[in-house]
Amino acid sequence: MPCFIPVWIRHLALAFWGAVPLLAEATNNPGTHWAFQPLSQAEPPQPKAVGWARTVPDLWILDALERAGIEPSPEADRIAWLRRVHFDLTGLPPTPEEALAFQRDPRPDATERVVESLLQSPAYGERWGQQWLDVVRYADTHGFEVNTERPNAWPYRDYVIRAFNADTPYPDFIRQQLAGDQHGRDAATGFLVTASVLLPGQIGADDISKRLARQDALDEIVVNTAQSFLGLSIGCARCHDHKFDPISSRDYFGMQAFFAGVEYGDRELTDLETQTRREDIRRWKERKAAVVATLSRLEPLARPGTPTGNSPSGSTAARVALKARMNSDRFAAVTTRRIRFTVLETNSLEPCIDELEVWDLESRNVALASLGTQVRSSGDTTVENRHELRFIHDGQYGNSHSWMSHEKGRGWVVLEFPEPRRIDRVSWARDREGVFSDRLATAYRIEVGTDSGDWITVADASDRKPFEGRNPTADEWELPAAALAELDPRSRQQTQTLLDERLRLERAIAGAVASQHAFAGIFRKPDRIHLLRRGDPEQPGPEVSPAVPEVLGTVRLPADAPEPQRRHALANWLTQPNAPLIARVMVNRIWQGHFGTGLVDTPSDFGRTGSRPSHSGLLDWLAREFIANGGSAKHLHRLIVLSSTYRQSSGHRKEAAALDADARLLWRYPARRLDSEPIRDAMLTVSGELNRQRGGRGFDLFDQRGGLSGFKPVESFSAEGLRRMIYAHKVRREPEAVFGAFDCPDAGQSTSRRRESTTPIQALNLWNSRFTLERSSALARRVRREAGSLPQNQVQRAFLLTLSRHATTAEEQEALEALRGQDLEVLCRALLNSNEFLFIP
Amino acid sequence: MNPRAESLSFQGHGLLDRRGFLSRSATALGSVALTHLLGREGLLAAQPDASAVLADLAHPNRPRPPHFSPKAQNVIVIFCAGAVSQLETWDYKPELHRWHDKPMPGGPAVTFQGPAGNLARPQYAFRPRGQTGKMVSDLIPHLAELTDDIAFVHSLTSKSNTHGPAENFLSTGFALDGFPSVGSWIGYALGTDNQDLPAFVSLLDPRGVPQNGSNNWGSGFLPATFQGTTWSAQNPVRHLSAPGITREADQAARRLLGQLNQRHLEAHPGDEKLAARIASYELAARMQLSVPEISDLSTEPAYILRAYGADDTGHPIKAGFARNCILARRLVERGVRFVQLFNGAYASGGELNWDGHNKLKEQYDRHASILDQPAAALIRDLRQRGLLENTLVVWCTEFGRMPFFQKGAQGRDHNPDGFTCWMTGAGIRKGVSHGVTDELGRAAVKDIHPLYDFNATLLHLLGLDHERLTFEHNGVQRRLTNVEGHVIREILA
Repeated sequence: MPCFIPVWIRHLALAFWGAVPLLAEATNNPGTHWAFQPLSQAEPPQPKAVGWARTVPDLWILDALERAGIEPSPEADRIAWLRRVHFDLTGLPPTPEEALAFQRDPRPDATERVVESLLQSPAYGERWGQQWLDVVRYADTHGFEVNTERPNAWPYRDYVIRAFNADTPYPDFIRQQLAGDQHGRDAATGFLVTASVLLPGQIGADDISKRLARQDALDEIVVNTAQSFLGLSIGCARCHDHKFDPISSRDYFGMQAFFAGVEYGDRELTDLETQTRREDIRRWKERKAAVVATLSRLEPLARPGTPTGNSPSGSTAARVALKARMNSDRFAAVTTRRIRFTVLETNSLEPCIDELEVWDLESRNVALASLGTQVRSSGDTTVENRHELRFIHDGQYGNSHSWMSHEKGRGWVVLEFPEPRRIDRVSWARDREGVFSDRLATAYRIEVGTDSGDWITVADASDRKPFEGRNPTADEWELPAAALAELDPRSRQQTQTLLDERLRLERAIAGAVASQHAFAGIFRKPDRIHLLRRGDPEQPGPEVSPAVPEVLGTVRLPADAPEPQRRHALANWLTQPNAPLIARVMVNRIWQGHFGTGLVDTPSDFGRTGSRPSHSGLLDWLAREFIANGGSAKHLHRLIVLSSTYRQSSGHRKEAAALDADARLLWRYPARRLDSEPIRDAMLTVSGELNRQRGGRGFDLFDQRGGLSGFKPVESFSAEGLRRMIYAHKVRREPEAVFGAFDCPDAGQSTSRRRESTTPIQALNLWNSRFTLERSSALARRVRREAGSLPQNQVQRAFLLTLSRHATTAEEQEALEALRGQDLEVLCRALLNSNEFLFIP
Repeated sequence: MNPRAESLSFQGHGLLDRRGFLSRSATALGSVALTHLLGREGLLAAQPDASAVLADLAHPNRPRPPHFSPKAQNVIVIFCAGAVSQLETWDYKPELHRWHDKPMPGGPAVTFQGPAGNLARPQYAFRPRGQTGKMVSDLIPHLAELTDDIAFVHSLTSKSNTHGPAENFLSTGFALDGFPSVGSWIGYALGTDNQDLPAFVSLLDPRGVPQNGSNNWGSGFLPATFQGTTWSAQNPVRHLSAPGITREADQAARRLLGQLNQRHLEAHPGDEKLAARIASYELAARMQLSVPEISDLSTEPAYILRAYGADDTGHPIKAGFARNCILARRLVERGVRFVQLFNGAYASGGELNWDGHNKLKEQYDRHASILDQPAAALIRDLRQRGLLENTLVVWCTEFGRMPFFQKGAQGRDHNPDGFTCWMTGAGIRKGVSHGVTDELGRAAVKDIHPLYDFNATLLHLLGLDHERLTFEHNGVQRRLTNVEGHVIREILA
């Protein structure tokens, strides 16, 4: 239903002063909206006051202040600027040494030096990447009720951090996120699929549910693209022509058609880095196999037919318990052409085996199909490309390369070698990737064939301890403790070295395998896209081909354009040189990152309902400067943080506030509370505990990484948990227990600008949480270590660490008073809760 | 530019440019819109408008006047997660006895979980109740006694047949993730009377969090302060005290913090944010006292515990839910604006909530034994104390269930096309049954109300116009009811 402004509203609106010209503009000339216009080429103004401006943006700011009759504020003290620029560019406070050195640095370019070193620090991308992740609502779970883990989302998070650190030209940043698969940046297309999504199995079995879920999934991609790059809310046009912006439903579905071949899912990475990693994995696996082969010589021999309850548990002869992830059966060497694995019982359903390996005396797996070994079975449950008989000896692990029997609780497989083999060990598992532990053979028999056609049992489950359920820490191959204890000291030492190496390799492989895939979208033959009446998939209208909104451009592809071409074309259009809207939106985001509010205070709405810029000339000049410098964010940071505008004091001035309460004209630096992540990171920094490990799988904030049954927060963090918060495993919609209350976005919808609220829940969290108490203790330990035992020195050190300054005499007195009869933790807890610590000055 | 605009401040210019257009939206007209917008920017004296809160994030819970005179001051929502079957509770369908075990004529072949089986009669006997003679099932005998006071809506529809999106839709008005929940909207609109307690409390079922988790009480893009504070008789509010810290150490640190902040404030006069943070610590200190006091049910007399079933040691889950019901009453007694009372936990094949796909009767016997007596006792207790005059009690669930069993199962699949929720208490007409489903209970056929209407009605009872309660997010004036919603006047007193 097209619903541009109804007549009766127009009539009412005409009575409303000030609206007439805008209304005429909107209804008659939809293309003339300011944000769609070419960038103004105006030269910077020449304010009256000479000598104040340091960088070009200052000219605009000062000029507007002069017109409003407001004086700029005096320059902030050096430490205030230093803390400001540290938090702004890296999200971390300066160290006491940095603060003291800067204070004493007489060189005229001392500030430039600080800014350069911060921009080169990897912490820069960890701060600015967060702001982009807010916009694209990044999370490590799939959302909705099931909210399952999205285990391979983080490569996109790391891509964003690295892209900022590398000062990736903005056009490349756009292109990579839409079509990185075509530009050697696979993980970047994670952008397309950051939203909540219902996965297969979570969608209803009926077709109506399926169609609706697909529409919702595509809608999120369109909304994300339009909001993030164009600053336009075109999602409204899914159900009706946009009420305020010149975007029709046809425009909306035209945009949707660009993404009609994108599915939410993991994609195997193919970029150079991944190829290198793949080679590493191959080498590590080979090495691990060799190590295990050596170690397995120490495994006790299987003793088939051991009467139940007779398995000696403490002796070297005891075999380890059955596992879902890895079982090894060693027996006296035997020469044979055939080996049979018979399942007699499972813990549930039809048995499933991901790989059956048979080892000869040179530690070669002779079961492999590639060596000519043939396979047959009692019968199979075949699910194409998942469960097939051939997968039992294809050298690939995991549920999706496994064999499943056709019978519940039983089944057999025979491997026949092309020639007799001398073998002494079999290894097998339900799922070496550790995901599944059902369908496990809990009773089994391994037999070798004789020349006369008989079978001799060489191993079974009778002398094993039963399956004890999953045990993530000891699920892999293990040696019975007793077998190790039995060895002489020297052999034990050597064996231990091998065991350690095995564990290291295991972890390296697991980490590298995990990063072979990224949740970066799967690309397939595009769906046909129809204009849907009221956005209802059950009311399809005419077919729509990929096209950009009419008011913005003319790119249009045929309805049958192949998938990659669609995203390629869209990326080309979004990165065409001198696109005014796109540059304006991004420079405004950067400005907002420094001042808390953008020149346009509706950063993802540059449409008609959005604000006009407070300084339109400046916005356009910045956009031109951005384009002229290849879309370098760092270039803009320099212009901004070295400006006189940015260096102003944040002091409140009544007469100025009376004219401009929110300081939109920037007569002062608008002080603001730290965001949730920088609070946590800053606490860890000053307590000396921050773990600077970068990238990779996120650390846990809760007792589980996804799921629907409630999340119990981790209370006490150590090691990985002391990394920067951007490296936390982000559970969608589940606020972090302490810092979530500090307006941390929940990754449900896009957050283009964080609110700054103040609540008693924040106070309770920061005052009483174990996190704060543990940081207070660590900070106190650090202070004692660095300042010695004299209370005055301790007080001074604690202030310097947390606030980058010394305590005044009065403050020192009050602190010493408080510490009478109390531990240093009291001071540390108070400092970590203080306004001065928590505000960007 | 209009000459009058020349005299405006910088913000005033900005507003004219931007909001002049905005104000023509169908929902914000003429001078109402202008005062709304100027008020929001703090350019006029405080207006009786929810948006004023944005200008005063330091005092987010301060009471704010509604749009018009309200019927209700507080709300308790009894939220039955998992989708309660309307056919086993409030929507009597005798025809199903006649059609039992026959295929549904023209019915769907496949529903949410798979192939449809034959029609199935209600699993419980229905009998007339109270003065109105309303037919209610024996599953919920205690609640059934209250039907004379209840207004039922039998003809609700949802936009989704999947729990997650449907609970989103019920709680936020959108099937997608990330929109503010109804309790957040109300806290944002009205603040709350008791500044020592949160405006919005979510009491979790003893068995765990509901199916859609925190989306049911999330604040979406509203300021974080408006999200529901999770609480229950079993798990009190987090971080009320510092583990392992003595009272003396706590006080010494608190005093020192006060001094630090005071000196800092003196060096930065005029900064309201700083003063607000200082105030928030004072509020927090008061909460540290008030929350344990409310949670302490030992002051409740034995007859109250007995009436709710909170003393039922043989049925600890029921007793736990009963304690949450008592807690709900104590919260509204002390002026908490919005209390969500969850009955049912997460997806569990219907074991822990009302999702009766396979063994409906067996599971519902257990679930009803937890819900029925405590919830009924809560309503009676509120009435007896006069609290029902100002408190609206809502009973809701995300959708209903199909009139036929699933193929090969003894349970019913998801049905978003016609289901029942009800309200009682402040502003509600007593003993009404509004809206009708077809004779088999498959879909609403008369007075059909998408859940938008139910939420619009809820807001209306609090004195809020669902079309005027808005918040701008990324260029859209968002509402709880999106661009839909009509107040269901037939159930208003």
